Amino acid sequence: MKDATNHRLTVLFHHGAADASSALAKWLGRPATLSVERMDTLPIEEAAAVMGSSETLICGCAMRIDGAIGGLLLLAADDAAGLSLADTLLERPTGTSTSWGDLERSAVIETANIVGCAYLNAICAALGPAGADGILPSPPVFLRDFPEAVMEGVLMEQPVLSDIVLLARTEFRIDGTPVRCGLVFLPDAAGVAALLPPSGDPEAT
Amino acid sequence: MSQADVPPIPARASDSVAIGQIGIAVGSGVLRTFVGSCVGLVLHARSRRAAGLAHVMLPASNGKGTPPGKYADTAVAETLRLLCAAAGEKSLSCTAKLVGGATMFAFHSGIPIGEQNVLALERILGDLGIPITGRICGGSHGRRLAVDVVTGAVTVETAGHGTETLV
Repeated sequence: MKDATNHRLTVLFHHGAADASSALAKWLGRPATLSVERMDTLPIEEAAAVMGSSETLICGCAMRIDGAIGGLLLLAADDAAGLSLADTLLERPTGTSTSWGDLERSAVIETANIVGCAYLNAICAALGPAGADGILPSPPVFLRDFPEAVMEGVLMEQPVLSDIVLLARTEFRIDGTPVRCGLVFLPDAAGVAALLPPSGDPEAT
Repeated sequence: MSQADVPPIPARASDSVAIGQIGIAVGSGVLRTFVGSCVGLVLHARSRRAAGLAHVMLPASNGKGTPPGKYADTAVAETLRLLCAAAGEKSLSCTAKLVGGATMFAFHSGIPIGEQNVLALERILGDLGIPITGRICGGSHGRRLAVDVVTGAVTVETAGHGTETLV
């Protein structure tokens, strides 16, 4: 990705991360920040591997996004971090949740909904007229699977599967401590067109 | 298909087949990949101890066809061609196994892409007269698979559901 494009996207996604930080802190009732970790254009086989490959399953909440910036948003965490997040939201001592019951799933799904919508709404606002239509998120879907299968599922949701994908990755801190939890946004073709300069090609500017 | 009390498949990069790619091995070894809604297409020629594994993402190339392992309509022919070339044969008698085709997210109506992938591969293999001797398809979870090049056995670990072997 060229510098100017990377800068434009980084500025846009910083807006998203700032609003999502506020929303997460309010939701958790404690200091929390999201920061843009990386903006990448990746070959699809590399994109499929960004969650790594481990023997343990990860949990994730995915939302299909339509509107001004379409795509798929994924909140993913390893099991321990996800269950710890659920404990925080359910006002339990950390370590209380040891498996994914309805309550734990619901807590994480709602987090994805709140954080994801704040994130993308802020990006829409920063886009100006191009983002005026806002976003239309689907209800989040919870899944627990191999890291690479989760990411493959994200990639396969694109209506037209390109060989190169634009990927925005965000990391979390709660009470100043890094949390093994991340937010990934994969815009679809229309989403890429809205986010990038008129050529719509991340390599072109 | 037999349920087996075998340990989980260890993650190894050296012999893994990336998304949309094709792996070929002759003589010995193990080919590995992971699939969600994609399908792992395994072609095995027992007589030559040769195996091919394609990680198929989409049912039809619609004229694009690159990389050939990405699309069902190009992956079967290309895997077969590479297998013959690696074995030094003009043609090979093969069997097929299919793994994957899950519905990871249900955001869209209509036939899920994973099911479309499986249907396309079944049709193409049928047209070529290649028998499908085993399959673990559908569901809503990802799978890791490992193909034994000598025997053609495919060990499949489904997320949260244990390990099975297609012999």
